[in-house]
Amino acid sequence: MSGFDNFNTDFYQSSYSVDDQSQATYGYGNADNPYNKPYGQYDYSQPMGYSSPGMMQPQQPYTGQIFQPTQTYTPSPSQSMYSSSFDDEPPLLEELGINFDHIWQKTLTVLHPMKAADGSIMNETDLAGPMVFCLAFGATLLLSGKIQFGYVYGISAIGCLGMYCLLNLMSMTGVSFGCVASVLGYCLLPMILLSSFGVLFSLQGMMGIILTAAIIGWCSFSASKIFISALAMDGQQLLVAYPCALLYGVFALISVF
Amino acid sequence: MRLRNSSMDGSDGSQLFEDTSRAGSGSQTGYRNQQAGPQAAGFPGQSLLSDPMSNLAMAYGSSLASQGREMVDKNLDRFIPISKLKYYFAVDTVYVGKKLGLLVFPYMHENWEVSYQQDTPVAPRFDVNAPDLYIPAMGFITYVLVAGLALGTQNRFSPELLGVQASSALVWLIMEVLAVLLSLYLVTVNTDLTTIDLLAFSGYKYVGMIVGVVAGLLFGKPAYYLSLLWCCVAIFVFMIRTLRLKLLSEAAAEGRLVRGARNQLRMYLTMSIAAAQPIFMYWLTYHLIR
Repeated sequence: MSGFDNFNTDFYQSSYSVDDQSQATYGYGNADNPYNKPYGQYDYSQPMGYSSPGMMQPQQPYTGQIFQPTQTYTPSPSQSMYSSSFDDEPPLLEELGINFDHIWQKTLTVLHPMKAADGSIMNETDLAGPMVFCLAFGATLLLSGKIQFGYVYGISAIGCLGMYCLLNLMSMTGVSFGCVASVLGYCLLPMILLSSFGVLFSLQGMMGIILTAAIIGWCSFSASKIFISALAMDGQQLLVAYPCALLYGVFALISVF
Repeated sequence: MRLRNSSMDGSDGSQLFEDTSRAGSGSQTGYRNQQAGPQAAGFPGQSLLSDPMSNLAMAYGSSLASQGREMVDKNLDRFIPISKLKYYFAVDTVYVGKKLGLLVFPYMHENWEVSYQQDTPVAPRFDVNAPDLYIPAMGFITYVLVAGLALGTQNRFSPELLGVQASSALVWLIMEVLAVLLSLYLVTVNTDLTTIDLLAFSGYKYVGMIVGVVAGLLFGKPAYYLSLLWCCVAIFVFMIRTLRLKLLSEAAAEGRLVRGARNQLRMYLTMSIAAAQPIFMYWLTYHLIR
């Protein structure tokens, strides 16, 4: 069964049909079209190359040999427990990876820009918090009459992509895209403050300009602080803070104008 | 669906699926598992993973994904040499500060040579004369945003205009680099200037452009012209002093008068590259300040 280890495209056609003898059919209506798929979401029967579906040989025991590669797949103990009954499954939030305590910790890190950040907090890429912040930002913009979710989404996508390229080029260790998106999303929190101010007061006076500048500085400072500590870059904090400031400046432009 | 299960096999009629970690379950249970697999997909994913068929599909899919990723990386490396690019981004704050100062005021700097370390140029972090790509990249993006701001104050702003500005500046940059490459080829200069070096040098003019436009936005047209003039002269001197060491021969670079058609041609080439910078700087900014 050399084909199994290689996972090349010939795999299904050549080797699988040999083992096809042992498990030909699903046993539902041999008269039916063997490719009839009552379960719409699963069409693995087709790529599996069931060339002889009509043959059913129950005498040959199902050795499970074909699934050799997956025998090395060791399900974590929790999973084999979970498969046993519905009640043992993990709570929904844990399964989705949303950990409110961590979200709160990261939020606090953003809100205290002067405090040194711990590099390990960004080890798990958590996009739930940033999603909430983006939606809150869009909501506060909506409150001041600007329906600009599209711009927020587009700018954050382009900005995350740009920061991802830049950080990968500048740092010794690379970053994943999820980590960049997560950090930038968390540091959007002060911008929500700015746009909620914008609901109540106009931001186009001198006060507004000073507030905008201060908030942009706050956002980019905490973002660069987290990046620096997570990626162990030295002497480059201002260099990382500047593109972050440009990105948040564009967000501020949307809030102000 | 349930009916089929129980009618088909007498043994485990109550369970929807079979735990295949048990060896020798028999062919029937194997089939049932496959059949029950899609059914059980309605449940949370653990039953999905215990189905060996979908295990296989997942493993195949992930290996396909990693193969695809390898292919992308390999091809990307062919077009854009990532490791070479990383050299140009190995900068730190002190370097950037000094370089920006040099771009605006190059008159006091004396030693313009790039230091080498066993045949490879030293990273920009350690040598202020080495070219980098951080400043040109940030300069380009800042230029596009400042252009948007300037157009906004004249009430001519729309997001499409940002894209137009960005693409036209990029096109001019690419054309300039190609023209310099062509002229270097025609003059047959033996130099270790790479394409990325030329890109970096051409990108340094954005700093002067930004200074000019910001001054014009804050203080009006005379300030724009004054600061642009200052920056044009500064970048002219900067380019001459930097390129002189790279393009001219040793003797001519030291300033001694060396006759000969080749050297003259090289000197003209250096001067024309340097003179092109102020022209571009004016061309790309004059329409932003009205």
